[in-house]
Amino acid sequence: MLEETLKRIQAHKGVIGTIVVNAEGIPIRTTLDSSTTVQYAGLLHQLTMKARSTVRDIDPQNDLTFLRIRSKKHEIMVAPDKEYLLIVIQNPSE
Amino acid sequence: MPVRTAKQMKPTLKVTKSRTPNQSTSGVLRVNQSATNTRSVNSSVHRKSFTLAGDSKVLDKGSVQTHKQTVQVFDETGKDVTPQPLYQPEAGALQPKQSKIFTNHDTSGSTLSDFLSTAYQTTNASFAAPFTRSVFGSSSVSRSSQSTMESMNDEIEDPSSKKDISLSLSDVQVRREEIKEQIKEHMLDCMVDCYLTETETIWLLDMPALSVSMDSEEAEVVKGRNMAYQELCKNRLGNDKYMERPMQTFNGAPKAKEVQSDSISMVEKATMATHWDIYDSYVSDGGAGNAADGASPTKLDISTLHRVHSSRPLDRTMSGASAISTASTSSSRIDTEAFVVQGENESDPEDVLHSEKFLQDLLVMERAVLENIYQPKLAAYRQLPILPDPNREQKAGDERDGQDDVSLNPALERLWAFNCELTMGRNVSNMAWNKKNPDLLAVGYGQFDFKDQKSGLVCCWSLKNPTWPERIFHCESGVTALDFSTCSPSQLAVGMHDGSIAIYNVQSTEKTPVIDSSDCAHKHTGPVWQVRWVENEHGPGGEDKRETLISVSADGRISKWFLRKGLDGIDLMKLKRMRSVRKHLGVKERKIEALISRHASGLCFHFHNNDSNIYLVGTEDGLIHKCSCSYNEQFLGTYTAHIGPVYKITWSPLCPDVFLSCSADWTIQLWRQDLFTPILGFTSTHKAVHDIEWSPRWATVFGAVNEGRLEIWDLGSSILDPIIVSMARPGVKLTSLLFATQTDCVLVGDSGGQVSVYKLKNLNAGEGKEVNTLHDIIRSTLASQL
Repeated sequence: MLEETLKRIQAHKGVIGTIVVNAEGIPIRTTLDSSTTVQYAGLLHQLTMKARSTVRDIDPQNDLTFLRIRSKKHEIMVAPDKEYLLIVIQNPSE
Repeated sequence: MPVRTAKQMKPTLKVTKSRTPNQSTSGVLRVNQSATNTRSVNSSVHRKSFTLAGDSKVLDKGSVQTHKQTVQVFDETGKDVTPQPLYQPEAGALQPKQSKIFTNHDTSGSTLSDFLSTAYQTTNASFAAPFTRSVFGSSSVSRSSQSTMESMNDEIEDPSSKKDISLSLSDVQVRREEIKEQIKEHMLDCMVDCYLTETETIWLLDMPALSVSMDSEEAEVVKGRNMAYQELCKNRLGNDKYMERPMQTFNGAPKAKEVQSDSISMVEKATMATHWDIYDSYVSDGGAGNAADGASPTKLDISTLHRVHSSRPLDRTMSGASAISTASTSSSRIDTEAFVVQGENESDPEDVLHSEKFLQDLLVMERAVLENIYQPKLAAYRQLPILPDPNREQKAGDERDGQDDVSLNPALERLWAFNCELTMGRNVSNMAWNKKNPDLLAVGYGQFDFKDQKSGLVCCWSLKNPTWPERIFHCESGVTALDFSTCSPSQLAVGMHDGSIAIYNVQSTEKTPVIDSSDCAHKHTGPVWQVRWVENEHGPGGEDKRETLISVSADGRISKWFLRKGLDGIDLMKLKRMRSVRKHLGVKERKIEALISRHASGLCFHFHNNDSNIYLVGTEDGLIHKCSCSYNEQFLGTYTAHIGPVYKITWSPLCPDVFLSCSADWTIQLWRQDLFTPILGFTSTHKAVHDIEWSPRWATVFGAVNEGRLEIWDLGSSILDPIIVSMARPGVKLTSLLFATQTDCVLVGDSGGQVSVYKLKNLNAGEGKEVNTLHDIIRSTLASQL
């Protein structure tokens, strides 16, 4: 179930890569090369912490559920959690 | 009160037996106690008391004394052992209790022991007198807190008593207090009177004044003395009594001495106490701890700080917050650290992948990815303006041209198709929208023919994911009918080719039906061609809005199903073959001697929208019967026009009396309820029409699906031809049709397993007037026929 879903996501149109990192920054699943994975994981981890801090500062009972960054070339979607970080990079206009 | 001392050594000192003191000791024990270990007291007690015993000279043997005449001491047996003022010869009787007292006496804990231990270290062990003083001093600290200790306090603060109090005295006094306490423990609930008395004034420092007032008695004396002194000073000069003599003190040579210590390393420590951090620690403390108490008022302060200093940089308020609540931040940090340690203990970092939350996140992520892909289509579906992607290169002229082309003509725009590898090759037999969630679609896959029967499949698709269904249910035989319930929107009734009916709950992820009719005695013996949940307003128990599941099947029975212990059904109607009607049509009646069955197969039915008692049934013979739930033997009426099996009957949702029927004889007929001949018939191609449906929005529009094409008819525009025709993909036959309720889209299922979504564009039928239009058409047609 889990593997199928991951495979399906990767197979969708425009999806460049899928990364799953755990809380310590160790990649559990990735379809990109190692250096890119580590770079994405590190940078997005910091950004997610900042985003979560922002959301919770405004209202501590709120929490961050999903983060999407749309850039000129791709869209990076992050589903954060205490234990992991699920990252998908897609090029939507392909 | 004066303390009397005895010259002899008190035999009580020899008693050293003591039980293990837990936290409470007497004054004597405390003297010997090391800082932490109370058990060592035992041995030290022995030692101490022995030394004390040995030091008979120094010790002031205590004499028993009483302070207050009201004090009475009883031992366990109730004997009055109130100490008498004089030295008691019954000291032996007192001794055993003394040890007990030592152990049970509870004084304030570590402070006393600490104090005493330091006292011990600073004073000579063998010197009892200062010992006792310190003992009493400390014991006063402890005992002042207790209500019955005031007697002791009086004793202790008496300066004279400080010198003379002996250990034995302390023994006795302690014992007296202890006994009192024992009694007290039994009666903890009773009211205790505390008497507060002022102690005597303690002189600590006395600096007598140097000047004397003129009025006092001593003035004369002082004056005289002063005068004498002055004369002395005058006489000093030439007097032999006084000699001057210098003196010199040697100053020692100073010497520089250097000391070097290890450099003190400074470590910078910073923390960021954010609003949510404080909130988290407050919540995790349960609101009941010191940190929490400190944090809650500070939390409010911080929030006000935030509002007041909103323009200032965040750092300042943060530092202020950190100063206030370092305790809470450190505690939260400890919490997170502990959590991280726990995480490391788990062997497999991939465990994270199997958590519920991860699956949920994957689902959301997939939908987000698909939304990016399908965004323009979904926007078109939902009738939102389609915004051009700003990053896409503008292919000038292309899109605009496309828009111009279809600006005026009614057309179908294909948006997307629900398709996945599971459904490829299967025939779509039926589709149904969920009554509560308009984005959820159930599609049943099953062959119509009895020849190539495969196992059936029901997929619940969501609009948000056209590539993979949300729920997949595998059924044993082909699925031929589907309907969602209205009252409990997560129940889906499925009718199958082998005649069984199953009810699934789409909310759960279980693959098995909630209930199945395979065990029922009355189950259908032929394929169930249609199931429907019908709301009854007149329920059996007088309750309103109850729902019943009704099905029609090829064995000629219309059954109503209940959920008792299993799924049980009763027959509403048995469809009898009506041979006599054939004469009416003018067809020569063939001699039918042997009938395969006396029942005609029912293929479809539809309950009247307003009246849940009346319904129409279409049979394989081409007859449409109007029936009522109240009569299960006879039909109310029969509509004859079709010469092939009637595949679908549908009442118009906007005009209450009008219905449509379609059949394998290539025709669609429009009827009115009171006329037993059709008003209008529509034919377009020579193909069997499998499915028709009225549009929910426009009363004159309906859609029809025959094997090769999808047709949209608008009776307001033309009653001869459909206004929109869309051809099927080559190789597949279109089998089912469904209108979307909220938007003007149409879903078409085909025999290749795809459900395509089309959007109706530029349909010129205006709103609101079509009912009248339809009636006009009907009237005019009828008028022309007559």
